Amino acid sequence: MAEKLVIMVTHGPDQPVLASIAFAMAGGAVAYDVEVVMIFQGDGCLLMKKGVAETVAAPEFTPLRELLPTLREMGAKFIACSPGVKMYGLSQEDLIDGVEIATAGRFVAEVMSATNSLVY
Amino acid sequence: MTTILSEADASALTAARVVDARGTGCPGPLLEAKKAMAGVAVGDVLELWSSDPGTKTDVAAWAGKVGHGFLGSVAAQGYDRVFVRRAK
Repeated sequence: MAEKLVIMVTHGPDQPVLASIAFAMAGGAVAYDVEVVMIFQGDGCLLMKKGVAETVAAPEFTPLRELLPTLREMGAKFIACSPGVKMYGLSQEDLIDGVEIATAGRFVAEVMSATNSLVY
Repeated sequence: MTTILSEADASALTAARVVDARGTGCPGPLLEAKKAMAGVAVGDVLELWSSDPGTKTDVAAWAGKVGHGFLGSVAAQGYDRVFVRRAK
């Protein structure tokens, strides 16, 4: 069975370093042929709003505008937390195409079935 | 287990593909290697240029994990030339 890494992202565009580290780890994992599931909670949900990731960059990290499409191309899954999405007045159509919206139970299932998980 | 070549021997390698990932941020060089390897025939060598000092150890670990042969690296002016043979 393929290895799976769950990366939970709880920081948003106002914390570009933490957000960039989360995406860099995802990039490393897809290079390793590890299945990647990124879960966005709280402020992290803002990164899944259309147009936001393009604005997030930190020194020495690949900017999200470049990394995010690569991750998607390489099969990474993105799931946003429903309360976080609603908290910011967002809905499915405000999010990047293909992003799922889910709640705690789904996240627990993803984490428990993963080889490992990281929280940023 | 692939033998790591000396700088002199690594310098003598002929790469089927050279990827210039100098100046890209983390995890750029590793992802560039991963993407470029798809275009290299099994048995051929990929040469990756990176200005990040962590890349040579990163790529060595990656090659070991995914099953390619890490051949070594050569220090150039401000960057490393990293060599990997596609094994599968």
